[in-house]
Amino acid sequence: MQTSADIQHLDPRSSDRAALLRLDGITKEFPGVMALSGVSFDLLPGEVHAVCGENGAGKSTLMKIISGVYQPTAGTIVYKGKESCFASPLESEAAGIAIIHQELNLVPHLSVAENIYLAREPRRGFLVDRKKLRTDAKRCLDRLGVDISPDVQVRTLSVAQRQMVEIAKALSLDAEVLIMDEPTSSLTEQETRLLFQVIRDLKASGVGIAYISHRLDEMAEIVDRVTVLRDGRYIATDRFAETTVNDIVAKMVGRSLEEKFPERTSVPSEEVLFSVSGLRREGVFSDVSFSLKRGEILGFSGLMGAGRTEVARAVFGADPLDSGTITLHGETLTIRSPRDAIAAGIAYLSEDRKAQGLAIKMPVDANMTLANMEAVSSRFGFIDFNRHDEVADEYVELLDIRTPSIKQPVRLLSGGNQQKIIIGKWLFRKPKVMFFDEPTRGIDVGAKFAIYKIMDELAAAGIGVVLISSELPEIMGMTDRVAVFHGGRITGVLDTRKTDQEEIMRYASGYGPTAH
Amino acid sequence: MADTSEQKSGRLSDRQKDIIQKFAALGSLFALVAVFSTTSSAFFTVNNGMTIALQVTSIALLGIGATCVIITGGIDLSVGSVLALAGVVAALAVRDWGIPVPFAMLIGILTGSACGWINGILVTKMKLPPFIATLGMMLIARGLALQITGARAVSGLGESFGVLGNGSLFRVVTIGDDGFPIVVFPGIPYPVILMVVIAVAVALMLNRSVLGRHIYAVGSNADAARLSGVNVSRVVSFTYVLSGTLAGLTGCVLMSRLVTAQPNEGVMYELDAIASAVIGGTSLIGGVGTISGTLIGAFVIGILRNGLNMNGVSAFTQQIIIGLVILGTVWIDQLRNRR
Repeated sequence: MQTSADIQHLDPRSSDRAALLRLDGITKEFPGVMALSGVSFDLLPGEVHAVCGENGAGKSTLMKIISGVYQPTAGTIVYKGKESCFASPLESEAAGIAIIHQELNLVPHLSVAENIYLAREPRRGFLVDRKKLRTDAKRCLDRLGVDISPDVQVRTLSVAQRQMVEIAKALSLDAEVLIMDEPTSSLTEQETRLLFQVIRDLKASGVGIAYISHRLDEMAEIVDRVTVLRDGRYIATDRFAETTVNDIVAKMVGRSLEEKFPERTSVPSEEVLFSVSGLRREGVFSDVSFSLKRGEILGFSGLMGAGRTEVARAVFGADPLDSGTITLHGETLTIRSPRDAIAAGIAYLSEDRKAQGLAIKMPVDANMTLANMEAVSSRFGFIDFNRHDEVADEYVELLDIRTPSIKQPVRLLSGGNQQKIIIGKWLFRKPKVMFFDEPTRGIDVGAKFAIYKIMDELAAAGIGVVLISSELPEIMGMTDRVAVFHGGRITGVLDTRKTDQEEIMRYASGYGPTAH
Repeated sequence: MADTSEQKSGRLSDRQKDIIQKFAALGSLFALVAVFSTTSSAFFTVNNGMTIALQVTSIALLGIGATCVIITGGIDLSVGSVLALAGVVAALAVRDWGIPVPFAMLIGILTGSACGWINGILVTKMKLPPFIATLGMMLIARGLALQITGARAVSGLGESFGVLGNGSLFRVVTIGDDGFPIVVFPGIPYPVILMVVIAVAVALMLNRSVLGRHIYAVGSNADAARLSGVNVSRVVSFTYVLSGTLAGLTGCVLMSRLVTAQPNEGVMYELDAIASAVIGGTSLIGGVGTISGTLIGAFVIGILRNGLNMNGVSAFTQQIIIGLVILGTVWIDQLRNRR
């Protein structure tokens, strides 16, 4: 232990034999996209090794390879001195590797104790030993120091509490390697403290922790080494104490902010194109008013669950609205369903591409024309296939969609190309107002830039663009004004050029204009 | 590198899987015909061909409706009962109310449509799972059919009631030297013509019309379809109405063939319909399915029954074999979709 720590100190990319887990030259290819290429990563016992990178850099893919969800296309994994390849999460779990997923994997209708010991229930003969199940679960929860009853159903818990249950589950596995994917993203300050205490305890007992997080500020407390990935490639590994947050960010981004976003060509006019006032949906949001000028990109910023997506969905008619008025070109609209909104010229690009944006089994062309079938069919409802294919070809070319043919099922395309297909679907509708809800989530950098450029061009063409984003750099780089949401209300509408990320965060946390 | 690992694990490439699936059903159909032709000399004849076609019509008509429902991600368990209700309503309309046969049959078909319409409301407006909604309808329609007939067959319907089920087009009969008629060509039975026309019409609807496109879109992703402006409720309801209507038509055809309306007719036919769709490659998860596939599926079942009968295989063994065929084809489908 002592010697390995010394070697580790000399060389941050330590290659000593004591490594608990070591990955070399890992490559992972999905149809149409290279998620990882030649990535290396190692983990020593008793250390926290952070993996940093932008969205789409390949962090989650790497963790899924370690935990056996995916198998690498090429490369080796050495675990406890033995070359291993885990065919499934069950195998890696049995070997002592536990993962706490970003998307929580709990069964909502089972109790906390049942979830912690799911598929590993203590038994007495054929029956579950309920007493032991309960006491064991209680012990795991106590070790975390959280006040959750092992008997309540998971569906009644908050997201933060569920996170704690996930961690308790990992602890119950006596894992030697623990993977944490954004564990603090939904935790409060106090819960985060608690988690860090648990992490320190785990470190002391020799557990190696791979830690993914966007929150670099928190890392100083617990992280020993940090590896940066960019666009699926390995960039560097440093000891955290010997580097700076700025240095890490520079490696993550790899280019200056100017290059990440296209130059804005559109200029907002004074003419108000679209406005809403007094929007309310019981228990979700209230008193939401904003206006959108012709040629403007308006940002929606705020923390998760602040009501940004909910407002956009209600304006689009996807969710009911209790009260409020929506005005386009000075005319008040009545919107009861997405059909009404689409007919009025409103488009909504949903945050969840696969669940809400695409008919995933259908080909490119069918997805492209789905929102505007009337334009490619005869009066009697029969499709004019010449026109139909023309339209699909036109938008594939316009948006530079990489697909072998317009008949390719969209599930075989990369995230960026899928997103462009949804954008194409809406462009073919010639919308007047378009909501982009997290349009660049999980998309590689090249496609991101292309999508930013499309948004700018739309704005320049006089279309009102609303950009909903959790990434502040995106808000800062692309918008003219930003409406900040907190707890279902807009706490401020700020001029993007005159504000900064800190001020937006302050509004997003509900503190409001203290400094000004 | 990727190639060797793929070969090592013994997995088939996507293209190979697609080809296997496309020709699995059709290939097994040809294999069946070949096998039965050698084991029974009476099998591969024009007469028996028409017999099979006639037997297949009811499975095929119901299967076409089932396919549309299943593509949207639903299921219709009620068609076997609905066809019985539609048939007895048509028969009672003729016998008790003296309504001319064509109008009586129209009433029967509309009875089926009405059942489908109610299924649609249960699924789209009352948000019942399709399995439950149509299970309820299955019991209700069967009960109604038994109730209004007193569980007795309705007979004495007159010759004209039998025309739809027993008549045929292009029948060529000559009088032989002995004075008895000789059937040169048995003709194409009306039900077979009906099946072909409806299959072509529904296939066109699915492949070439906006409505068809919407049916696939709803089955592939209902949320995405709704957010793209598709009227999901209307599309789903339409498929249940279509399925009910075709069940009504099938009921009239079947009762006409017997010239008697049996309230017990069509028990378990819904399972044949679903099986034919599934053998033909329709996915129970929704979003995938074709009419041509379903027709092949219906013929696989029909030819199996007919050929096994001719070879003197018992009804029990037949069930076992058809069960195995369903499992086999769906397993191949799973193989194709596993990625």
